[in-house]
Amino acid sequence: MDATILNVLRDPAGVPFFPVVFQGLYILTWALHAAFVLLALGSFGLSLYGSMKQKHDANWKVLNPHLIQTGKLSISLLILLGIAPLLFTQVIYDAGWYVANTLSGAWVFIFIYALIAAYLMFYWYYYANKRNGGGGTFIGLISFLIVVFCGILMHNFAVISISTPDQWMEMYAPGGVIDTSGLNLAWDIVRLAFLVSLAIPVLGIFLQNYSDFVSTKSDYSADFVSFTRKLGNKFAVIGLLISAVLFVLWMMQENLLMHPVSLATIVSVVILLIMAMFLKNSYITTLWLVVVALFISGIRELIRYNIMSGLGYDLYGYPVNLEIPTIAMFLSTFVILGFTGVAYILTMAWKVGKLENGATLDGTKSAAVTKLGNITLGLFVLWMLIYFAWGMIILFKNTL
Amino acid sequence: MDYLGLFPVFYVPDVGSAWLMGLTGTIHIMASHTSVGAAMLFAFLAHKAYKEDRDDLYDYMKRYGMFLLIFSYVIGSITGPGIWYTATAASPRGISALIHNFVWVWATEWVFFIYEVIAVFALVYFIGKIDKKTHLKLTYTFALASVGTLALIIGIISFMMWPGNDAFYNTGSASDAFFGLNTFPHMFLRIGFMVMMSGVIGLIISSAMKRENVELSNELTRKMGYVGLIGGFVALFFFMWYISTLPANADAVLGLTLDSIIFNRIILAIMFSLYFFLAILKPQWIGKYLAVIMMFVIGIVGVWPGEKLRESMRKPYVAGQYIYSNQIISRDVPGKGVKSEVEVVAAKGLLGVDPWVPERLRTITPENKLEVGEYLTKRACSNCHSLEKGGKYRSMIALFTDKVQMTDAASIKSYMQVIGTGSIPYMPKIALPDEEYDAMAEWIATQINN
Repeated sequence: MDATILNVLRDPAGVPFFPVVFQGLYILTWALHAAFVLLALGSFGLSLYGSMKQKHDANWKVLNPHLIQTGKLSISLLILLGIAPLLFTQVIYDAGWYVANTLSGAWVFIFIYALIAAYLMFYWYYYANKRNGGGGTFIGLISFLIVVFCGILMHNFAVISISTPDQWMEMYAPGGVIDTSGLNLAWDIVRLAFLVSLAIPVLGIFLQNYSDFVSTKSDYSADFVSFTRKLGNKFAVIGLLISAVLFVLWMMQENLLMHPVSLATIVSVVILLIMAMFLKNSYITTLWLVVVALFISGIRELIRYNIMSGLGYDLYGYPVNLEIPTIAMFLSTFVILGFTGVAYILTMAWKVGKLENGATLDGTKSAAVTKLGNITLGLFVLWMLIYFAWGMIILFKNTL
Repeated sequence: MDYLGLFPVFYVPDVGSAWLMGLTGTIHIMASHTSVGAAMLFAFLAHKAYKEDRDDLYDYMKRYGMFLLIFSYVIGSITGPGIWYTATAASPRGISALIHNFVWVWATEWVFFIYEVIAVFALVYFIGKIDKKTHLKLTYTFALASVGTLALIIGIISFMMWPGNDAFYNTGSASDAFFGLNTFPHMFLRIGFMVMMSGVIGLIISSAMKRENVELSNELTRKMGYVGLIGGFVALFFFMWYISTLPANADAVLGLTLDSIIFNRIILAIMFSLYFFLAILKPQWIGKYLAVIMMFVIGIVGVWPGEKLRESMRKPYVAGQYIYSNQIISRDVPGKGVKSEVEVVAAKGLLGVDPWVPERLRTITPENKLEVGEYLTKRACSNCHSLEKGGKYRSMIALFTDKVQMTDAASIKSYMQVIGTGSIPYMPKIALPDEEYDAMAEWIATQINN
């Protein structure tokens, strides 16, 4: 694909805001999405081992249902948080997104239904394990393998979209004969191995958080707290070392090892390793993990930008048709309503999680829960009023 | 070369790629409409439970919520992006037009969706762990977030039908595109259906509770009967308003199938009215198997034909009445700087503007004529028609053999040329160079006569 065609494949309507903003939002939201992909893989994978141990081991008996619950929530959140990066990438990198989806169209369809099957089986695993106080490992394993298969397909879409523009034509018409089956696949093993390996340290740091969280509750024994902390330390440290080696290999393959973003990522991983090894308050380690995730997301974007601009794709020259009302709606909803609303539920969840032995949270006696609840409800009502007023004004303007 | 921003063709033999989207869409509608309807229902039940201090209603909400987590928030939340993915594979430029017009609307919906999903987990798992008043407030916010997702997506899918006036074409404004003529009727039609779906699913849950608490089961079955009836009435009422806000090309398609649609809707309305009246008058007669069967009936006989009809009524366009289903831009949109591509296609042919044609096929020769004809037919027709003999959906071969009864290349070519003049309102008005019509007609004739 040459520059002319890559630029022709941009949408003629242009972009509704400056491309660099979409790039930034992409990096941010992909990092959030990836965090839950990795937590899902890690907690789900470890729970399979735990499901075999939990009937005979007191610590696994307590930990494993929580790992399964974490996997269940993480899969839901990874799907949710995956929507935003998909949205932002296709606004500015139309060529890659749409070509990958058409060249792999059949796999796109398979991906959707495979993911549904995997998640339904996960619920089966969850209920089987809950009912019997352990087990369900076989159905869990099948579900896990399908999740991994879906991950590989998603990796394939990414590789086709960013790493192979010069091979697109050969994929579509090998030897000059057009193939509309949508069955193309592509891999980058080092990149895939690195990204998957991150599930280990993410799981480790999650277990450290978990240990810190339950350490303040009287219904969890000191032995259990120590067990989960040690498990977390082990996963975090060994996982970070594996990921660091794979990251260096990946950067060498991409000729980016000495790039400032790459070096900053390595430094950030080393700091994370030290924090995971020595820091007592693991919540701070998690905050730093977010920074590392943003660096990794940034590296992915850097690789794509380099490839596409190397082929002549003019990202920052994408025609802009500024669209102020809807970006104002998004930013105000995201920042004001979104943050308040999520803070409201997380505050409640934190307090509920700290309850002991079947106690009930009286939210009306918590100033934080009451205030955040009132503000969130008020913001939703206000949002609805503005929406209908805006709609009426536009409708009257255009029809009367 | 004057290339157009066309993408590779993805085609599923015998079915057509667009129908993959239809299937995913139907499943998604069942799941997502239930979730919004159930969110409103939960607000009602939580309010009642708080005011009347009734613990038993929380048990029902918990069971319903667990069902919802799997039905709506597993199947629904995957098929949502699933529609997007399959639409991208089938109609890349159509979805691109929507994304580039409405990216911030979609991003806003994403914020609502995040809140909705976190809230549903919270309100299901917090039952019995937080006080009723706090739970009620949480449920209100969940309901508003859920309705908010509808409020945000409805303008986009209404725009797919048409913006309703010329304002959008002149200004390029997302507001003018979003709040079109049929946005609000469409919204209230769907709200009615969502409420009805919450009743249909609610009947599954209430009928499954008989063994543990027959009184509660009967009370809730009655309530779900009322909910279903009210929802169905609202949906039917706004369907009438919605129909009156459709564009002329939709009327043409509607005219072709109006009798069967009215028949189908009357049968459905009678069937579900009887079902809901039965739930109200004889709740003990509603068993869980009947309730599950009725859910499939609404999906297969109600939603699937409804979505097929909505997709058909958009023809020949795929989005905003400026992009044809075959991905060619049909008109200028000065507000966005978009230019019609019909003229350049007429002058240079698809072979001259499609960047994905291999060099050996760019010029038609006797040796490659059938191969080129097949590709051009896929490019121009496969978004709506299956192309093989015995194809399942809108089979092109069946249209030629059974409907217009033309089987030779010359007649097929003449027919296509007439369509290209815009003589059929639901077919795209695009002329092609003579040799491209020739190649397509010859390939189609070969398929018919093989």
